[in-house]
Amino acid sequence: MSDDILLSARGLRRTFGTFRAVDGVDLDVRRGSIHSVIGPNGAGKTTLFRLLTGILRPTAGTLHFGGEPIAGEPVHVIARRGLVQAFQATNIFPRLSVRESLRAALVSRHGRTRDLLSWSQPAMEQEASALLDTVGLTRLAEEEAQKLSHGDQRALEVALALAMRPRLLLLDEPTAGMSPFESRKMVQLVQRLAAEEHLTVILSEHDMETVFGISDRVSVMHQGRVIADGPAREVRANSDVMAIYLGSEA
Amino acid sequence: MYGPPGVDVGDTADESVSTGDGSARLSGRAELVPRLLVPIVLVVVMAALAFLLSDNVLLTLQEVLALAVFATATNLLLGQAGLVSFGQAVFYGLGAYTVALGWLHWQLPFWATFVMAPVLGALVAVPIGLVALRARRLYFALSTLAFSELAYQLAESRYDFTKGANGVFGTFVPTSLTFPRTGYLFVLAVTVVSLLLLWKVNHSPFGLVLRAIRENRDRMQALGVNVYLHQLIAFVISGAFCALAGAMFVVFSQSSYPELLDWTTSGEPIFMAVIGGMGTFLGPAVGAFIYQFGHDELVRYVSDWQLVLGAVLLAIVMFWPEGLLGGLGRLGKILRKRGGNR
Repeated sequence: MSDDILLSARGLRRTFGTFRAVDGVDLDVRRGSIHSVIGPNGAGKTTLFRLLTGILRPTAGTLHFGGEPIAGEPVHVIARRGLVQAFQATNIFPRLSVRESLRAALVSRHGRTRDLLSWSQPAMEQEASALLDTVGLTRLAEEEAQKLSHGDQRALEVALALAMRPRLLLLDEPTAGMSPFESRKMVQLVQRLAAEEHLTVILSEHDMETVFGISDRVSVMHQGRVIADGPAREVRANSDVMAIYLGSEA
Repeated sequence: MYGPPGVDVGDTADESVSTGDGSARLSGRAELVPRLLVPIVLVVVMAALAFLLSDNVLLTLQEVLALAVFATATNLLLGQAGLVSFGQAVFYGLGAYTVALGWLHWQLPFWATFVMAPVLGALVAVPIGLVALRARRLYFALSTLAFSELAYQLAESRYDFTKGANGVFGTFVPTSLTFPRTGYLFVLAVTVVSLLLLWKVNHSPFGLVLRAIRENRDRMQALGVNVYLHQLIAFVISGAFCALAGAMFVVFSQSSYPELLDWTTSGEPIFMAVIGGMGTFLGPAVGAFIYQFGHDELVRYVSDWQLVLGAVLLAIVMFWPEGLLGGLGRLGKILRKRGGNR
């Protein structure tokens, strides 16, 4: 496997009874790229994400992250390796404040989750403040997460993932349910993170403007398989993909 | 999330020292003094009560303090980790039996068994936690309840070792502690140290992780936390302090019997936490005071005191679900906000 490839899947499969949700997927994600996975509902994108993060175990196939095999490893172990997901459904800590939520994530990254007696660390607090600034939530730092708007909750979701200093960030429909203004802000954030932090991003998204606006590569899924894969321009020009999956949106 | 009385969910005790900039830290230290003042005055007043109250009341207070530690330790699981355990009586009873059986079978000195109790509580909590924490929510509660019943049946049926349903009664407490005043001061000292340690755990990074797990277990796992391990650690810490509370129970009761292990005994600290406010650190301890003194008053006038308890609990759950301290904290916050808006 090339050093350039951060994540590699070969023959990845997941079945539920006789149904093949993910059926022999091959995927190579290059370091520092924004790689989108698209396809109609039921194509297997969410299941693929769950396989990558360890929420589901693959029925067959191999999965390497940074050259190390990760298939079948527990979720928390994969997260600690640097493969972190920001979820599709808003997945926050409802009654923790925004700052506390970030503290919890930072405590995890710094390996201090079993620290029973210490006071909080100023360095960690500064990091939390910097993250709040990055995602534009500084003014809402002391608000309970459940009281934020949908867009701000998604921003917190991303901040939680960033707190882990991921090597690869999985974004599952980051603009779902957002207003056009919030969507634009989110897209700008993803682009900025990829450019400034050299972050590798895998993106699942229904909005084709977003996908082709920011992606370096695109993989198209249908019925559990990858049916097209390549640079965004090439996939966009693929008439079969256009006709079947992207319709008039593209 | 947890704080001194009146501080509700959402406030953290170290909030002011945690903003990261130097001035905030300095103001945090300045705020620490009045914050420490309240508990220090409280402890001094509690100690002074030893010289003001009658022997009967001091004996009741000893029981209340043991229950306060029991309830606060249980609330580490309930309020902090979101784990409803009906098995904490296993550790409470184990603490009491450690002192009683150590004296009965091996003539161990009280001080040795008193120290052994939390250690044994922690050791026994490991296998119980390993099994019970495999289940979630209702099934976790039922598993712990099953362990409680198992312990109760064991204590009742093994007459040769535990004296069965009669329990163990004897002079296993040093004479100096059998006087209500000295016994009370000893139990108060152990309570203060226990609550300080539990407060520290609640306000540590580990405590924050427990609250985050309570709020969203799957998200915390996706952030690299081994949820099972952290819940197990919380279960073991809670088990150790519940066992210590059981050993404190022996100081004034000078007895140990199977009912201490029964699941209904596990329900008591949950009631106390609900009454006082499981979202606050001192809520369960305040609940223990209300529960025990309320119980002692009620039984003087009402034969079916459980009916009254049930009605009170129902009213709290329906109209004041945050409990006494949680509700007062929220009220204070609203008043402060109104004051600030003027």
